[in-house]
Amino acid sequence: MNLRTRRGALSAAGLLGTGLALAACGGDAASGGAAAPAASSGPVKLVYWGAFAANLGKVQEDVVKQFNDSQKAVTVEHQFQGSYEELANKLTAALQAKQAPDMAVLSDVWWYKFYLNKAIQPMDDLMKAEKVDTKDYVDSLFNEYVQGGKSYALPFARSTPLFYYNKDAYKKAGLPDRAPKTWDEFVKDFAPKLKGAIDPKQFVFANGGYSAWIFQGVIWQFGGAYSDKDFKMTIGEPKGVQAGEFYRDSIKAGWAQSVKSDTDEFKQMNAVNIINSTGSLVGILDAAKGKFEVGTGFLPEGPAGFGCPTGGAGVAILSGLAKEKQQAAMQYLAFATSPKVQAVWSQQTGYMPVRKAAIESKEMQDFIKTNPNFKTALDQLPKTKFQDSARVFVPNGDQILAKGLERILVNQEAPSTVFKEVADTLTKEAEPVIKARKALGA
Amino acid sequence: MQAVRVPRPATVPSRSATPAWSRDLLVFLAFITPNVVSLCVFSYWPMLRNLWLSFTYWDMIAPEPLWIGLDNWIEVLTSATFWTVLRNTLVFTVGSVVITIMIALGLSLLLNQKRRGRNLVRAAMFAPAILPGSAIALVWTFLLAPYYGLISQGATALGMPMTRWQNDPFWAMPTVILVVIWKSTGYDAVIFLAGLQGIPRELYEAARVDGANAWQRFVNVTVPGLSPVAFFLTVTSILSSFQAFDVIRVMTGGGPVYATTTLIYQVYSEAFVGFNAGRAATYATILFGLMLAITVVQIRMVEKRVTYE
Repeated sequence: MNLRTRRGALSAAGLLGTGLALAACGGDAASGGAAAPAASSGPVKLVYWGAFAANLGKVQEDVVKQFNDSQKAVTVEHQFQGSYEELANKLTAALQAKQAPDMAVLSDVWWYKFYLNKAIQPMDDLMKAEKVDTKDYVDSLFNEYVQGGKSYALPFARSTPLFYYNKDAYKKAGLPDRAPKTWDEFVKDFAPKLKGAIDPKQFVFANGGYSAWIFQGVIWQFGGAYSDKDFKMTIGEPKGVQAGEFYRDSIKAGWAQSVKSDTDEFKQMNAVNIINSTGSLVGILDAAKGKFEVGTGFLPEGPAGFGCPTGGAGVAILSGLAKEKQQAAMQYLAFATSPKVQAVWSQQTGYMPVRKAAIESKEMQDFIKTNPNFKTALDQLPKTKFQDSARVFVPNGDQILAKGLERILVNQEAPSTVFKEVADTLTKEAEPVIKARKALGA
Repeated sequence: MQAVRVPRPATVPSRSATPAWSRDLLVFLAFITPNVVSLCVFSYWPMLRNLWLSFTYWDMIAPEPLWIGLDNWIEVLTSATFWTVLRNTLVFTVGSVVITIMIALGLSLLLNQKRRGRNLVRAAMFAPAILPGSAIALVWTFLLAPYYGLISQGATALGMPMTRWQNDPFWAMPTVILVVIWKSTGYDAVIFLAGLQGIPRELYEAARVDGANAWQRFVNVTVPGLSPVAFFLTVTSILSSFQAFDVIRVMTGGGPVYATTTLIYQVYSEAFVGFNAGRAATYATILFGLMLAITVVQIRMVEKRVTYE
């Protein structure tokens, strides 16, 4: 093509433009690739979308493989779909394309959206037919998925935030071998000693990611809340703002830093303390092996006492499956959430066992004797609470809150202004949910 | 795209009853149909649908989008986020396009001289252009990583404070721009080089005979000679910088806060993070309008200064 003439230059521009436009069409959202094979004789084939990578992904694969080996009637194909967000993203596209999988992992902030749109199916009859002992599930975790008296998912990879500390650094600083009991103790006693003794940052908060999950605990510790049950946004009220001020001051005072990945900084020994999911426990322990000792503790208490949310993901069965497939899916779920599997899953990942029998099993009890960090998470579990509606039920609520926290942590903006704006945005975004709930008679 | 003109033969031997003009028309249609159909299906229809979506609320799961009139438009245009994002888009575009083109021009002038190793340098310089943006972004993320990254270690060794480049509200945008420049300079330089080699030798000789010095030859021969290429590069670079996504997605995710969120990134996060297809469509329509306006202005105003043969 001759670029030295007007026509040449323009048609080159046009060609390139068309190419770009076409390239832009091929977004990654449209994948799918989960065409359900037709049911015939032979095992019922199910497609299961997962969101666990690295160590977690391997353990998840193992669970599926054990299930497939344990019987002949059902074959589950596990397909990794990326993070919780990416999975929800693809599931939305797949539903539009009528190419949805049969089962999917849905995180605390995503399952409700699919429930409101009737994309996931109530499981009570299936559980009865499979003789699932619903009473043996940890009540709080099980009940989070109950809407209008029916269960819409089973808890699977459930977690809570946990306080992680570098034991070696604590020893060098002359601190006791335990997590701080209160934020006050940490700020006035632990942080200054750590600063004097060692180089890295005393504490790092992640900005972005699931920062609004971590802050859910902190805002409770200060007596505030994101919202009440009926979507009245309360984050901008004085106690919420006070928690925000605490975050902002942590950076200003210099004992904390805001980073992209708090676990990375902790693993590389650039931060002595972080708050992260119990689901990160095994990954952190593996990374720290041979480098430093990891300690864990309950979240520190604030002026209003203790506060810690539950989180993580459950597994749901998609609506509109043939009866035979529904039951087959429940057969897998019953297996994956059975006490035996849960005990192993928990030990290999750090997620909470969702079955009481798994927690009480000799195997688990023996395990926590030699692995005290797992015990911390289990002991903290009864003290945890279900999260505020604003984060888990408002579409994008998690990200709106996280953006607000980022403005405070990174830009050092005033929490009073930021949280007021966040509350306004959340109120607006909650409108469709409130409408949809009314339509469902909730 | 140019319409294909089929030259009418001077004399057509009439072998059939079909008049010559209708056969021309058929040939014309045969040429344009595949292109027009694909443009309609993959460009124009989605554009119209997108415009319509901008007047709706849709979470991408509900069976039908809900008509809400101008709500999205009012909300977007009155939000602080929109203006931040618009400013970021302009900073990103001006920063990446202007600097890339200037460096590329300089490089191409150097490489147009007969020096040893010229071909090797040309190949090395072009290499980043064939790499996928996300791979480049990952490599740079590694280089820029706090503490262990090569650049961070170098900066620390020089006594600079440790900076989390990608997570710093000031540095995030320059960092992303730098990576985009690194990626696209080689391509632009090669196009410039082609332009330089297309300038007729005799013009330089004539200028020399007239007593023009090197600077005068550059201003009066090279610059006008390169102007069509420069124009082409400016138009296409601006359009592609408006659509730059991969590097931002991988390196900063549009953050921290909104520091590197450009219009295209905002379209993505409204649609696929927030699941608000209506608002995403509003941003997409604004982006489209902006690109159209800039291109029209470029063709109408700037092209007047371009010297074609």
